[in-house]
Amino acid sequence: MTGNPDLALLRQKLASGDGPRFWRSLDAVADSSEFRDYLAAEFPSAARLAAAPERRGFLKLMAASFALGGLTACGSEGGRNFEVPYVNQPERIVPGTDLSYASSAVFDGFGNGILVTTRNGRPLKIEGNPEHPWSLGGTDVLAQASVLGLYDPFRSQAVQHLGKPSSWAAFRAALQAQMPAWHETGGEGVALLTGPVTSPTVAAQVARMRAAYPALRWFVGAGVGREAIYEGARRAYGRPLETLPDFGRARTIVSLDGDFLDLGPGQVGLSGRWSAARRGAYAKGGLLSLHAAAPTPTLTSAKADYGVPVPAGRLEALARDFLALAGGGAAPAGDDPVSRWARGAGKALIEARGAGLVTAGLTTSPDLHALVHRLNGALGNTGATLRHTAPVAEQGTGSLADLADAMERGAVKVLIVLGANPVYDAPAALDFAARMERVPLKIHAGLYYDETGAHADWHLPTAHPLESWGDVRAVDGTVGLIQPTVAPLYNGRTLQDMLAFLTDGRGSEGGEDALGLLKARWRNEGEDAAAFEARFGDALRRGYWPDSASATEAVALTQAVPPSPVPATDGIEVVFRPDATIWDGTHADLAWLQELPKPLTKIVWENVIALSPHLAEREKIATGDIVRVEAAGRAVEGAAWILPGQDADTVTLSLGYGRNVPDHLSSGLGYDAATLRPVETPWRLTGARLTKTGRRRMQATTQNLGTMEGQDIVRVQAVGAAPVGDPKTAPAPASFYPPPESQDRWVAAQWGMAIDLDACTGCNACVTACQAENNIPVVGRAEVELGRWMGWLRIDRYYAGELDAPTTHFQPVPCMHCEQAPCEVGCPVEATLHDSEGLNLQVYNRCVGTRTCQSYCPYKVRRFNYLDYTGGMTPVQQQQRNPEVTVRARGVMEKCTYCIQRITAARITSAKDAHAPIPDGAVETACQGACPTRAITFGNVADPTSRVSDARKDPREYALLGHLNTRPRTTYLAGLAPAAGPAGREG
Amino acid sequence: MAQLFTPGADAIYRLALMTGVACLVGLPVLAAGIVRSNYVTGVGIAPAQPVPFSHKHHSGELGIDCRYCHTTVDKVASAGIPPTHTCMTCHSQIWTGSDMLKPVRDSYAQDKPLEWVRLNKLPQYVYYNHSVHVTKGIGCSTCHGDVTSMQLTYRANAFEMQFCLDCHRAPEKYVRTPDQVWNMNWKPPADQETLGPKLVAQYHIRGGARLTECGICHR
Repeated sequence: MTGNPDLALLRQKLASGDGPRFWRSLDAVADSSEFRDYLAAEFPSAARLAAAPERRGFLKLMAASFALGGLTACGSEGGRNFEVPYVNQPERIVPGTDLSYASSAVFDGFGNGILVTTRNGRPLKIEGNPEHPWSLGGTDVLAQASVLGLYDPFRSQAVQHLGKPSSWAAFRAALQAQMPAWHETGGEGVALLTGPVTSPTVAAQVARMRAAYPALRWFVGAGVGREAIYEGARRAYGRPLETLPDFGRARTIVSLDGDFLDLGPGQVGLSGRWSAARRGAYAKGGLLSLHAAAPTPTLTSAKADYGVPVPAGRLEALARDFLALAGGGAAPAGDDPVSRWARGAGKALIEARGAGLVTAGLTTSPDLHALVHRLNGALGNTGATLRHTAPVAEQGTGSLADLADAMERGAVKVLIVLGANPVYDAPAALDFAARMERVPLKIHAGLYYDETGAHADWHLPTAHPLESWGDVRAVDGTVGLIQPTVAPLYNGRTLQDMLAFLTDGRGSEGGEDALGLLKARWRNEGEDAAAFEARFGDALRRGYWPDSASATEAVALTQAVPPSPVPATDGIEVVFRPDATIWDGTHADLAWLQELPKPLTKIVWENVIALSPHLAEREKIATGDIVRVEAAGRAVEGAAWILPGQDADTVTLSLGYGRNVPDHLSSGLGYDAATLRPVETPWRLTGARLTKTGRRRMQATTQNLGTMEGQDIVRVQAVGAAPVGDPKTAPAPASFYPPPESQDRWVAAQWGMAIDLDACTGCNACVTACQAENNIPVVGRAEVELGRWMGWLRIDRYYAGELDAPTTHFQPVPCMHCEQAPCEVGCPVEATLHDSEGLNLQVYNRCVGTRTCQSYCPYKVRRFNYLDYTGGMTPVQQQQRNPEVTVRARGVMEKCTYCIQRITAARITSAKDAHAPIPDGAVETACQGACPTRAITFGNVADPTSRVSDARKDPREYALLGHLNTRPRTTYLAGLAPAAGPAGREG
Repeated sequence: MAQLFTPGADAIYRLALMTGVACLVGLPVLAAGIVRSNYVTGVGIAPAQPVPFSHKHHSGELGIDCRYCHTTVDKVASAGIPPTHTCMTCHSQIWTGSDMLKPVRDSYAQDKPLEWVRLNKLPQYVYYNHSVHVTKGIGCSTCHGDVTSMQLTYRANAFEMQFCLDCHRAPEKYVRTPDQVWNMNWKPPADQETLGPKLVAQYHIRGGARLTECGICHR
């Protein structure tokens, strides 16, 4: 594929209706002969193999394989030759069974409630905590991947002094020699830099430390900060505030580059509440419509019912237009798409006064946040559909820029960096690395020996959240507790421990340990020890302190300030975004996240420079061209990617890549966007220049993998229109397949799944959860390029409508577990076959790897182990594997099993209890459990009262490629669209 | 010109041919035999253990119940290997000076687990659950043999797939009444032919077709 279709032609094709209604890639719209060949070959890797050897070579290879085939049966089963029982068995640990602990997942200092499943003392899997008042049982990709983070072989494993292995004792001795001097001067010249802090315990410790050293300065820095949110509230209300939307009370939502569905600390709670509200509105026959304007497509704008690309610089003007409209002014004139969108959104807001909701995202300007506050105030939404609370993140005494400035002046004598990586993520203009050299003593503590660690005198390994005690607050203020599920693997210490040591020179050796500090923080003054222990024990069991969410703050708008003049811009506008899988780069070493297709581009293992079809046409840039973005004497080079829905003159750079730590997984992938980030406006850069370098390199992407042939793959239900689902009364069409054998009475259930496409936001939590649960291997960039991505569950992203502003649809595709499965006919050795509960089984030990089933599968959900992807894993990584799922060897086919291990567990429990029926909800698949929007329902379809049966009664329900008469057990509920849908969204 | 072949050449040729054919047939048979032999499967061979523990003495002669040590056999998938603490419940009182038990006392004193050589091993793609078998009337000795007569413990069966399927195809031949599950000397009673199907119904065992589905053991 060229990645270079004629865009004008495509635009015309789509406009005239000749093109496909739903399309995945520009190549698919172009429908070139190359693309058709690609599809016909089906598996690019296999096609290449088939072409390779001639007859003689083939016979030689076959003879050799035949002769050597038996040898694969030889070899020892290493590690399983001994049984090693406990000496004293701990009370609750039963070897071979799961034990779950309530804890919190930490995302940029914020928390979400999780349950950590451990087996024989090893954390294996993260589930959402359904009782947690903020996250409500959902999880995000980072929480799911945190178990891999724990066992990550790239983690820092030792104290290092000037790049050489050292010890905690040496560090303590060195610091203890210095600390009397700090006390004497009151900490003059000591600077503490942390990542975002919401932990009340850490906050109390920092306060204590600042009391001990009055002159100490505390800075908070992160790749993705919340400064814009707090500064925006300061401009509107005079003080920093959090904004919490209440979607349930809203009738319409207008998002000005909002990000409530995008990866971020609030994603789990916000997307869950949004989809619940949307489901509620649908139940009443309505639609909670979402109007979204964004300079670059996000998950939030992808779910919009009315979306439009807009330059980032125009967002404030749009907000002012709405503000004028709310004050009785006229609707914005103009016939461009943005004005048309603004009229629609404005009308909806005015009609829904007091029940509308305007929202702006983390990456917008403080001015826009302030305007949005004023707008919500003017419309009467504040206090109705949204509320404000005190900021959850602690405020330091200065920004990263202030710190850089102080270092430049030589005012910093000691720099203590705890859990931050400014050398990598600070804007290059701050020149952090060079300025750090001016500091005589630099201490860095982090999970990784990263860029900052390499520039520090001392590097200290921190404990992973799964190894630590602690507390953390969710976006709504709920205090979650963190409890260790395993002893620290590498003798890492917690942040609390280090702060305690830096304050009193003792820390956990002689002073309080992390648990003691935690208890000390939460024990009320004068509280009885036993009463506190009971209260603490209860909170620990729940995973959070009950009723600890922030109270609603009464707010009053301050006098409006005149808008700051907008600088005239020439050249292109660059916006910066955190990466959709690895965020700001903190998690760049996690292979699961690297190989997780980015939700919109489906690219793996790198970041790209996203630009609009218009800009590509104008600058004659094709996808895959290496382009250069320059501004203020700095430049980055990266691969261009033509992104439908991108604003015409905007270029998007994503953070998190371009890491430079030798021997790490992330080293050398992509470009470093921080090079160009301005200090004042960290998310936006105007007046940049875009040039072609003349080089090309294609990206590894999964967007055309598993392309299905057929009709009505994605369906959209316009509210109030005739149902688009499959008719429920029609008799099943005749089939050549023998009818399923009569169900005997001891069959526990007939399993089935329903996926609500309206609730699916494309967040990828399910894909990562599946990977963690089912031991799915990571294959690497080169293998993905060959079409060998191994995920059992893929999320297809479809576009519909015009090239420049399409609507976006996500469709998760696991195995359909067809009742009449084409794959089963193809297998010569009966390695794939049905059981009486309707599961399409894959028997690894029978599979000989003909791959016939894969080519017979119309849904393209089967994955083949071309190479030994699971071998050669370090022992520490093997600790993460789920012992209930076979680790597949080379040469066998695999696919989604509906988490048969979880079904079996429920079935055995029921069997031991005289075959009591398995209660609805007792079996939850990994993908279902992870989903923050509850898009996936799983259960017994033979039971008419089960939730999955309820979902299947919805008139939106349809079978994917149902006309093939495969009778899939996985079915879909069509996504919703407004009654008078915009182009491409009509049912 | 002299004769190239001696008169005996034909015989040698025929012998070579026949040996070839015999090897073609015989070698696979031999290989199959070796793979199934006790030497390879370990059936009947008691490996050296850190402590020469005698099931015959403990469960046979003293009559200690299986579940005293294998505590989770009727609760979860794995039967459980007793922690050193379990040994010491008695051996802190009796045979306290025995040389044979020194590794046990050392393990307890030094908090270092005993490492037993594993006897019963299933391939990694086979998932077996003790608790469901035990609650459904399948006795220990059906798989593990008469452990009460084993001075040193050895593997009683090779656990090939055929072995599992024998029972999964016809559970009525092996199923016992609940009180007989722990009986190591159980022999099918005379009325097993009538009792078996009754028990199968009583235990709600799903029988034949369902129990031989691949997903029951493989996942």
